[in-house]
Amino acid sequence: MSTQTIPLSIAAEAQFKPTSLIATIPGVALLFGIGLAGKLLEHITTVLSAQHHLLLPHIEYVLWAILLGLFVSNTFGVATIFRPGVATYELWLKLGIVFVGARFLLQDVLHIGGLSLALVAVELILSLSVMTLLGRIFRLPPKLTSLLAIGSSICGVTAIMAAQGAIDPDEEDTSTAIAAILSLGAIALFTFPAIGHLLHMSQQAYGMWAGLAVDNTAESIVTGSLFGSEAGRWAILAKTARSSFIGFVVLGYAVYWASQGKAAVVENKALFLWQKFPKFILGFLAISFLATGGFFTHPQLDSLSNLSRWAFLPAFAGVGLRTNLKDLVGQGWRPLVVGVLGEIFIALVTLGLVYWSYNHGVAR
Amino acid sequence: MANLKPTRTRPLHLAHKLPFNVDLLAVGIGLALAALIRFNIIHQISF
Repeated sequence: MSTQTIPLSIAAEAQFKPTSLIATIPGVALLFGIGLAGKLLEHITTVLSAQHHLLLPHIEYVLWAILLGLFVSNTFGVATIFRPGVATYELWLKLGIVFVGARFLLQDVLHIGGLSLALVAVELILSLSVMTLLGRIFRLPPKLTSLLAIGSSICGVTAIMAAQGAIDPDEEDTSTAIAAILSLGAIALFTFPAIGHLLHMSQQAYGMWAGLAVDNTAESIVTGSLFGSEAGRWAILAKTARSSFIGFVVLGYAVYWASQGKAAVVENKALFLWQKFPKFILGFLAISFLATGGFFTHPQLDSLSNLSRWAFLPAFAGVGLRTNLKDLVGQGWRPLVVGVLGEIFIALVTLGLVYWSYNHGVAR
Repeated sequence: MANLKPTRTRPLHLAHKLPFNVDLLAVGIGLALAALIRFNIIHQISF
């Protein structure tokens, strides 16, 4: 359960060549095609259940899109022609997050976002410490341990990619860390909603938990959305708050590895923080600010909400398409064991933090 | 450490560099579409 991969010999040539826009068209079409198929399947099963009184489980388009993507990726594989376009799933994801700003009043963002920031700070300290400790116990290469700690504590692949340029790890370490983080994210997709239902969690509490505990942004939002659309919304807010820490954590590791003489020294730290800051958060805040200020009418806010759903459609398909179950076993057991133990710890700690917040009236 | 020997594959994220800044493009498209909706150039979007 991991990233879609391609042979290194091919990839090595492609590494420094940006993909052309035209080359992304087939993959983008595939993303939308799978997403639309998921939406169609949701509609068909709903109609069949209603008209023919069939006892079909109600599966939302979110899950259909992921399942279809997983099916394609793990049976036929993703052909080379589609891969540049499939990589654009990140654009659709971030565009969806920007539009979701229309569904938040700024005071909610400040209150819950502020609470998230406080919970994220606790989660960060604990998860960085535990992942580093586990990496030492299982004798992982130090930079792989750093990457796993960064990926699991902040925002998964984005954080690992941001750290790649800053701490100069081996590419193999980067690949392994990404694979481990995505594998664990895929497991969360199917375990978190079940746990949430088992514990009778509210939509908001569950969404906060998914946003705080699931590493990769895409998996985090999907994990929230599989529980309910409200939960998905709160997962986005918590995850966005968490992502805003990315620059500080990566900078910390960059300074550490530079002090060890194993990475370049960061000359301008303020510029470094700005470069690593996820700028799409500014778009999310801008739309939320405009919505709070009455810039949009209610029908217009509905349209913006629907645009976010359209943007998430190909993003969810992309989550399935870039997950290859065979690669789970190909990454070696130690990084995975470290990841699993660390993630279980993070999931339990964040669950405890969310419960504490909601039982003590800190959250509303 | 045999399990950590290089695999022969590379994640999608390392294999394809998109020809644009994803974050800035998402913000640009988002704000542009929001403006089109606000000024009724795009009327209604359903899902």
